[in-house]
Amino acid sequence: MSVETVTNPEPATPETEPSEVVIETRNLRKVYRDFWGREKVRALNALDLEVRRGEIFGLLGPNGSGKSTTIKLLLGLLFPTSGQALVFDRDASDVEKNERIGYLPEESYLYRFLNAEETLDFYGRLFDMDAQTRRERVDSLIDMVGLEWAKRRQLREYSKGMTRRIGLAQALINDPELILLDEPTTGLDPIGTREMKDLIIKLRDQGKTVLMCSHLLADVQDVCDRIAILHQGDLKEMGRVDSLLTVKDVTQVQARGLSAEAEDEIREVISRHGGKLMAMDHPTSTLEELFLRIVRDSEERPGRRTVEHE
Amino acid sequence: MVVDELELLSFLEWLLPGGDGSEMKIGALGVFLLIVPALSATVAFVCYLFSVARHGPSEGFYTVARTVAAGVTDISHISPRRVWAMARLAINEAVRRRVLIVVAIFMLVLLFAGWFLDSGSEHPARLYISFVLTMTTYLALALGLLLSTFSLPNDIKNKTIHTILTKPVRQVEIVLGRILGFVLVGTAMLVVMGLGSYLFVRRGLSHTHTVESFERVEGVAGGQNENPVVWRGTLTSADRHTHTFEVHQNGEGQTDIQRGHWHRVRLVSKSEKDDKPVFAIGPPQGWLQARVPIYGGLMFLDRNGQSAQQGINVGKEWDYRGYIEGGSQAAAIWTFRGITEQAFPEQLSLELNLRVFRSFKGEIERGVLGSIYLSNPDSGAAMRSVPVSFEAKEFSIDEIVFGRSLDVIERDGIPREGDIFKDLVSKDGALNVIVQCSERAQYFGMAQGDVYVRSADAPFFMNFFKGYIGIWLQMVMVTAFGVMFSTFLNAAVAMLTTFSCVILGFRSEFVSDIRTGDLEGGGPIEATVRLLTQMNLSGEFSDQLVTKVVQFVDQGLRLLMSFTANILPNYNAFDTTDYVAYGFDIYGGLLSRNLTIGLVYTLAAALVGYFFLKTREVAA
Repeated sequence: MSVETVTNPEPATPETEPSEVVIETRNLRKVYRDFWGREKVRALNALDLEVRRGEIFGLLGPNGSGKSTTIKLLLGLLFPTSGQALVFDRDASDVEKNERIGYLPEESYLYRFLNAEETLDFYGRLFDMDAQTRRERVDSLIDMVGLEWAKRRQLREYSKGMTRRIGLAQALINDPELILLDEPTTGLDPIGTREMKDLIIKLRDQGKTVLMCSHLLADVQDVCDRIAILHQGDLKEMGRVDSLLTVKDVTQVQARGLSAEAEDEIREVISRHGGKLMAMDHPTSTLEELFLRIVRDSEERPGRRTVEHE
Repeated sequence: MVVDELELLSFLEWLLPGGDGSEMKIGALGVFLLIVPALSATVAFVCYLFSVARHGPSEGFYTVARTVAAGVTDISHISPRRVWAMARLAINEAVRRRVLIVVAIFMLVLLFAGWFLDSGSEHPARLYISFVLTMTTYLALALGLLLSTFSLPNDIKNKTIHTILTKPVRQVEIVLGRILGFVLVGTAMLVVMGLGSYLFVRRGLSHTHTVESFERVEGVAGGQNENPVVWRGTLTSADRHTHTFEVHQNGEGQTDIQRGHWHRVRLVSKSEKDDKPVFAIGPPQGWLQARVPIYGGLMFLDRNGQSAQQGINVGKEWDYRGYIEGGSQAAAIWTFRGITEQAFPEQLSLELNLRVFRSFKGEIERGVLGSIYLSNPDSGAAMRSVPVSFEAKEFSIDEIVFGRSLDVIERDGIPREGDIFKDLVSKDGALNVIVQCSERAQYFGMAQGDVYVRSADAPFFMNFFKGYIGIWLQMVMVTAFGVMFSTFLNAAVAMLTTFSCVILGFRSEFVSDIRTGDLEGGGPIEATVRLLTQMNLSGEFSDQLVTKVVQFVDQGLRLLMSFTANILPNYNAFDTTDYVAYGFDIYGGLLSRNLTIGLVYTLAAALVGYFFLKTREVAA
């Protein structure tokens, strides 16, 4: 099965007015030097990127391609060797921009000697929130990530999934306009992954902008509007997911309730129009959906599995 | 105990220009205002040089300018709530890292120390107080060191700082918050340790005696004294000393002063049978005191009675005192000001801390005799009190009390009854005190602070508390420096560096001496060579090229050491333990001065730490 893809370079947004550019990098370069000033690693070469308001942007690439570096440059945790990184039209090292962003690092780097409530309260204070607002936000966020039952336990006792959820909560404590996620679904089980993806989509629906980087292709495909693919520090591809992945010259039809005669007729129509039938069969649901369905059923009816035969 | 003349300045005299004859004629504030711009410019220039090496001339300048501008913006936007959040975090961290163990160690050491401290020594009060204060100082410094140097490097290593730096926190708030948090923890520890120390000292010093023997004083007539001494006796020995005591007719009495303390003795009852009196001996008193001395200016008269610039130098190298010759007209004259009736309604109490130089042994059992009298500065020798003879006790303090009404001698040489304030104190409240040595060929040595008027004592507990403020200040500075170094060094190296700063701070005079060459043995490298080749301090090296190179490098190292030692705070100056132990009130001006200097150093360290943190790539 051959597939032709059509790449669209930076398209005009299909909607009416151009959205505001939230993140912009201009010729961003990052080179790690050793003590004597010689180049050690070329982490990022001349990256030009734009992220618009209200979209989910994915940075894709294998390990070591510069995804995390880009995010850290945007956050001001690293300083660019040359070029500019702008967030909300301000330089990345400007502290003021942090009021409007949230960041979920790869491993949730949180203080292990605090418990969940204290952690969120602490970060809330850093946003200069008054006590009342803090209290409400902390409670609602803990509720949202479903850690009500463990909120008094010190973080050192949390499992990885739980820490990641608290990390997400602290990223949202200030109700940010822009959220940066570094490998959000890496290391999560399928349920956690699904919840994370649902949350990301919900955030977009609330009007927020999300920039995430990942090497888990399926997750990025499910969630992102636009992606950029990096490899060894170079930008290889950028564009809308649907336009990048749409196979233009193949038509896909999914119909319910077709009899065998109907199928034959369709075969005939196709050959009559000079097309080549590539496949007519039952589509497969994804393993993710099967898994989630079984887990949901199991929670409702614990015990031995009920095997359903076709 | 040595009293430094510099310490006698009041706070404003020290701070503002026009100060009284000290080396800093422009006042400390003037020095500060001169140094800060000069130092900042130098530092900025050095940073510019580094930046040029990295980025090239114009880009380098731009980088430095941008950092400085960003710094100013950041500092003007400091939010107290955020600083407090960081401080709370630091406190949480310290507590959950079980820093309270330090207090436990302290208590443990105190418990065991009680066995080893000898309360029967010559000056037990001094011993106990010095011990607790010194130990508290070491523990507080260790606490400050450990708390401050591990925290930030751990944050950077564990990357928890990433989550923080992506919040709108300024680096200056991180640094200040941490310093504040650790200072608060340290303060709480100090309070606990302070209370524990105080109780320890009181308990360790307390002892009682019982009456060993007593007798009734015979032949007591009425006459002038309405309350004559009726009983005399001795007490049993406790803590290797004993007292004699006297009880007056009204049943109240006291013991003599031994080892710096005395007890109250009271006649409690007389048993009916045999008319034997029962006495109650009170707890020891008087050795936990805080004298408030009033110092005066010192002038000398040489052996012919002519005024001299300074006293005789008897050849003691380390002594800055001047000496007067006995059996001649040589005298030391102190002029005290502020002698008013309100301050001294009943008597004038003088304390003498003289040195004695014997040119022949003389009567070795007894102190050298001297005489002391008061005179009116306005009329000179024409109006003076009758000289009082005293025995100069070296290494302990003589107290001479002049009652308000005493005998005075005018020009005619006939003693009559007089009053200190009417006759001897001048119109502007000044009084002269003249000390002479009575024995020929013996000498008295004195410095300005050796004789003083004792005004009303300050409460000991306040002085103890002030001593603790000194310790607290040292801890604050160590914490600030520790946090500063930890912004760009890893934990262990930061700790070592801060520790070195403390050592250099305590020994800054030693370091200056090395630089000026007063101390033999050369600089660091030369000293190491001497050490390894087992050569003594004054041996000469052969004149080779190696020697010249080593000495040249050493010059540079010495300069660096002395530069560092001069910049660093002089911890010795903050150490007021001696004041408390020897029983002198810590002068208010001294405390204010130390607080100011400490605050300035802390802020400077915070600023430096901020810039290091800001220019650091934490994710690299």
